Amino acid sequence: MTITPSHIIQYLYCPRFTFFEYVLAIPQYEEKNYKVIRGRDLHNEKLEQNKQYLRKKIGVKEKHLDQYLTNGLLRGKVDEVLLLEDGTMSPLDYKFAEYKDKIYDTYKTQLYCYAWLIEENFGKKVKKGFIVYTRSKHKLIEVEVTESDLDKIKKCALEIQLIIDNNFFPKATKYKKRCLDCTYKNICIK
Amino acid sequence: MITWVLYDIKNDKARTKAAKLCKQAGLYRVQYSVFLGTVDSHEKDTLSLQLEEQIDESQDKVYIFTMSKNELKNASLLGQAFDKKMVTDEIRALFF
Repeated sequence: MTITPSHIIQYLYCPRFTFFEYVLAIPQYEEKNYKVIRGRDLHNEKLEQNKQYLRKKIGVKEKHLDQYLTNGLLRGKVDEVLLLEDGTMSPLDYKFAEYKDKIYDTYKTQLYCYAWLIEENFGKKVKKGFIVYTRSKHKLIEVEVTESDLDKIKKCALEIQLIIDNNFFPKATKYKKRCLDCTYKNICIK
Repeated sequence: MITWVLYDIKNDKARTKAAKLCKQAGLYRVQYSVFLGTVDSHEKDTLSLQLEEQIDESQDKVYIFTMSKNELKNASLLGQAFDKKMVTDEIRALFF
């Protein structure tokens, strides 16, 4: 089984999510959230206005849309893969969200995953990624991608693999607050 | 937060849908096109996006106001008005 950025985000929240969902096959309760549905439609609305703007603002030489990439461990769909003028590449992800002066870790994690996939598939370095917040007038935010960020993601992917392949029961997250409204709190051993 | 939703929507179908969305968000219908109740910021955001989808922006209007409990206490209500305790969910049961 190959994993996706969502798996990594869940694992970082609490490793036991991976265990309950993919070893014991107990699904999470996820309600059909209106905003999530709107976000899915977003990718179908091709954003013409962004093209020229991107070329000027960040110096894009080429762009590849909707790239479904995979390596041995991870798979994911990148909204846009950009080739920049300095020969590096960058993932760009559209978010149906407002920018509120901070970038959530989940968004960063997603970009790091894409960065890893791009490096392996296109054979180019990735130094930064971009997020477009469609509900804040398409505000463009740059996120730096470092080697250590990628190493963390790679380590996570291997640990997730270990849990799934060996039925390994991991330690829960150290943040006790997360247990309060966890979907698995009734079956999770403290 | 206590939230007011007021609208003028011309199209019957869209107006019915808007009322339904407000009720689904847990608001009380205090007048035909005025809703009031307590929602958190995420619920309010979702509702405003849903209403935005329903309306014709060239002719309809929707107002969404928020208000504190104190401000609602200071409001004067005349005639066949709603029960302040009811819309702020202070009354949990209507009969015993």
